[in-house]
Amino acid sequence: MASRTPAAMKRTVGGKTLGRRIGDNWQLYALLLIPVVLTIIYKYIPMYGIQIAFRDYKASAGITGSKWVGLDWFTRFFTAPTCGRMIRNTVLLSLYSLLWGFPIPILLSLCINQLRFPKYKRVVQTVLYAPHFISTMVICGMIRIFLSPSGGLINLLLGTSVDFLTESGAFRSIYIISGIWQDAGWGCIIYLATLANVDTSLYEAAKVDGASVFQRIVNIDIPALLPMAILNLIMSAGSLMNVGFEKVWLLQTDLNKATSDVIAVYVYQQGIENAKYSYSTAVGLFNTAVNLILLFVVNRIASKTSDVNFV
Amino acid sequence: MSEVVIKNLKKIYDNKVTAVHDVNLHIKDKEFIVLVGPSGCGKSTTLRMVAGLEEISEGDLLIDDKRCNDVAAKDRDIAMVFQSYALYPHMSVYQNMAFALKLKKTPKDEIDKKVREVAEILDITRFLERKPKALSGGQRQRVAIGRAMVRDPKVFLMDEPLSNLDAKLRNQMRAEIIKLRKRINTTFMYVTHDQTEAMTLGDRIVIMKDGYVNQIGTPQEVFAKPVNLFVAGFIGMPVMNFFDECKLLLEDGVYYAEIRGVRFKPDDFQQRALKENGQQPCDIIVGIRPQHILVGEGELEAKIEVSEMLGTEANLHTMSGNDEVVMVIPTMDLNVDVSMGQTIRFTTQPRLMQFFDKESGNNLIWYDPVSAEANAPVCKEYGF
Repeated sequence: MASRTPAAMKRTVGGKTLGRRIGDNWQLYALLLIPVVLTIIYKYIPMYGIQIAFRDYKASAGITGSKWVGLDWFTRFFTAPTCGRMIRNTVLLSLYSLLWGFPIPILLSLCINQLRFPKYKRVVQTVLYAPHFISTMVICGMIRIFLSPSGGLINLLLGTSVDFLTESGAFRSIYIISGIWQDAGWGCIIYLATLANVDTSLYEAAKVDGASVFQRIVNIDIPALLPMAILNLIMSAGSLMNVGFEKVWLLQTDLNKATSDVIAVYVYQQGIENAKYSYSTAVGLFNTAVNLILLFVVNRIASKTSDVNFV
Repeated sequence: MSEVVIKNLKKIYDNKVTAVHDVNLHIKDKEFIVLVGPSGCGKSTTLRMVAGLEEISEGDLLIDDKRCNDVAAKDRDIAMVFQSYALYPHMSVYQNMAFALKLKKTPKDEIDKKVREVAEILDITRFLERKPKALSGGQRQRVAIGRAMVRDPKVFLMDEPLSNLDAKLRNQMRAEIIKLRKRINTTFMYVTHDQTEAMTLGDRIVIMKDGYVNQIGTPQEVFAKPVNLFVAGFIGMPVMNFFDECKLLLEDGVYYAEIRGVRFKPDDFQQRALKENGQQPCDIIVGIRPQHILVGEGELEAKIEVSEMLGTEANLHTMSGNDEVVMVIPTMDLNVDVSMGQTIRFTTQPRLMQFFDKESGNNLIWYDPVSAEANAPVCKEYGF
C-alpha cells in the first residue's frame, strides 16, 4: 500500500478526512454555521468599510470611488487641540472604572457566597441585579435627579446644594460609582457560579485544618475565582478604550467637559452630528487598534503570572 | 490515650428526617473501627458529627472524656481524610501538608521537619513541589493521608478514602493503610460501603442500616455470628444464601431445621443456645454461606444456571426450589459435572447454618436483645 503524503496526513485526524468528520457530525456543524455566518455578516463584512478611514469619503463617489488620503485623518486627529485631553480622559475613565469596578463583583460574590440562608441570599442577589436591567437613559435620569442641587438625594444627605454634574472633578466619580451600582451585582453572577462549583469538601477540610472564614476565603474561594477573574480582566482590558458613549453623552455638560470629553463621544459628534464619516472612522479605528494591543499585552502578562491563558 | 465515646447520638435534619438514630459506640484507644453499610445508612453522617462538620441533634460525643458536641472541628484534635481527597488545588503537595500546621502558627522549621518526615513515610517526597492536578489518584490519596498525619491527631477519621481509586490501586492502598496504622498507632474511625475493606481493616466493624446500628463486632464475629438477616447478607462475598420456607422443629427436646422436607440437626452448641433462649418451633429462614456448601452429596438439589470458573474455585449460580443459591466450590479434585443446566446435589454442616426468625429477621442464636435494646447490638455471649 502506498504511503500517504504529508499533505494527505494533515487532512486526516483519527484516520478520518475532514469531509468525513463533517459528514459524521453534520448536525453540530450546522449549529456552528449559524453563529459563524452571523459573525461574518455583522462583524467581518462591515470591516470592508474601514478603508474610509484612509479615504476622503463622499457618499456620491462610494467607498472605493472616494479619494485615497492615507493617514491624513489620523494626523488631523493627533494634531487636534483636544486629542490629548480625549485620550487622557478615555484612558483614565476606563482605567479607574476597571480599578474600582473590577474587584467589587468579586468581593460581592465572596460575601454572598457566605450567606447561609437561601431565601435571604436570593433576595440580596435580586436586589443587586436589578439596576442592571434599567436602561442607561433611565439610569442617567436618576443620577441627574439624585445629584440635583435643588432637592437631590445626595445634596440632602450632605446638607449641601452643589451641582455635581457641573464639577469636572466629580464627573469620573459619578461615572464610576453609578457604574458599580448598576453592574456589580450582575457582574458577580459569573463568580457566584464559579464558587458554586467549588468542592464543598475543600471547605470542610479547611474547617478541620483550623481555617477561619477569612482564611477559607483566601485559601479556597479566591484561588477558585482567579482564572475567571483573569479572563474578565483580559476582556475588560480589551475594551479599555471603549468608554460607554451613551452614559458619558447623557451626563456630559459644558462645565464638566474637561474630564468627560472622551473619544467615543467625539466619534459620535464627528460622524453623526458633523457627517465627517472618514474622520470619525479613523478615530474609531485608532481606538480599536489600541484595544487590540492591550488585549494581547494583558493576556501575555496574565499567562506569565498565572497558569491561565485564554486568548 | 484517645478514646471516643458516642452516646445516643442522633442526627435530625431541618426537614425532620432522622439520618442517625441513637448510635452508641465506645471506640477504644488506638482501635481501628470501621463504619460500614449501604448508601444512606448514616455512616458518613455519624463520622461527620464526630468531625464537627455536622451539628449533633441529640446525644453526646466524648473524646478523651471531654464532651465535644459544641467544640469546633479544629479544636477536637482530629484529622480527616475525604473521599474526594479535598486537596487545595492551587497549593503544592508541601503547602497542602503544611497548611494546618501553618494555621496553628507552628514554627517553620518544625513544619518543614514534620512534612518531610511524613512525606518520607508515605513515599511522596519527590512530589512535594507538585500541584495535586499533576498527581495520580493514588498519589493524591497519599497526600490526603499525609496532610492528616502531620497533625498528629488524637483521632484519625477517614470517609471512604479509597472509593475513588480503581480496584487494583484500592487493594494496594488498603494494604498501605494497614501498614500505616501499625506505624502511627492512633485511633481510627473509617467509613466505607465496601465490606471487604471493612473486614480487612477494622479491629471492630459497625454495620449500619437506615440510621441504626445493626451489629458491632470483630470481623470474625460479624461474619460468623451475624445478629440478623441484614448483617448476614451484607457481610461476606458472595452473599449468604437464604432458604425461605424453612421450619425449626422441636422433637423430644431436640431441635431440627427443615429445608424443603430435608432435616438437619443443629450441633450441640446450637442445641444448647436455642434451649437457653427458650426457642419455640417456628418458621425460619436458614442462611448458608456459599463457601460452606458441599456439592455432590446430600439430599438437597439445585440446577446450575451459571457456572463461573475462577481458577482455584468456581462460583455456581443455581436455583434450588424457589431459592437462588450460590455455591463456591474448589476446582481441585472436582468430580462433579458443574456445567450449566446440570442438576447437582448439595448439603452443608448444620453447625455452619444460621437460623433467622422469619418475622423479625433476628438470628435465633446470636441476636442479643439486651445489647440491641441499648442500641449497641453485639452478638450474644454464651457461658458454655
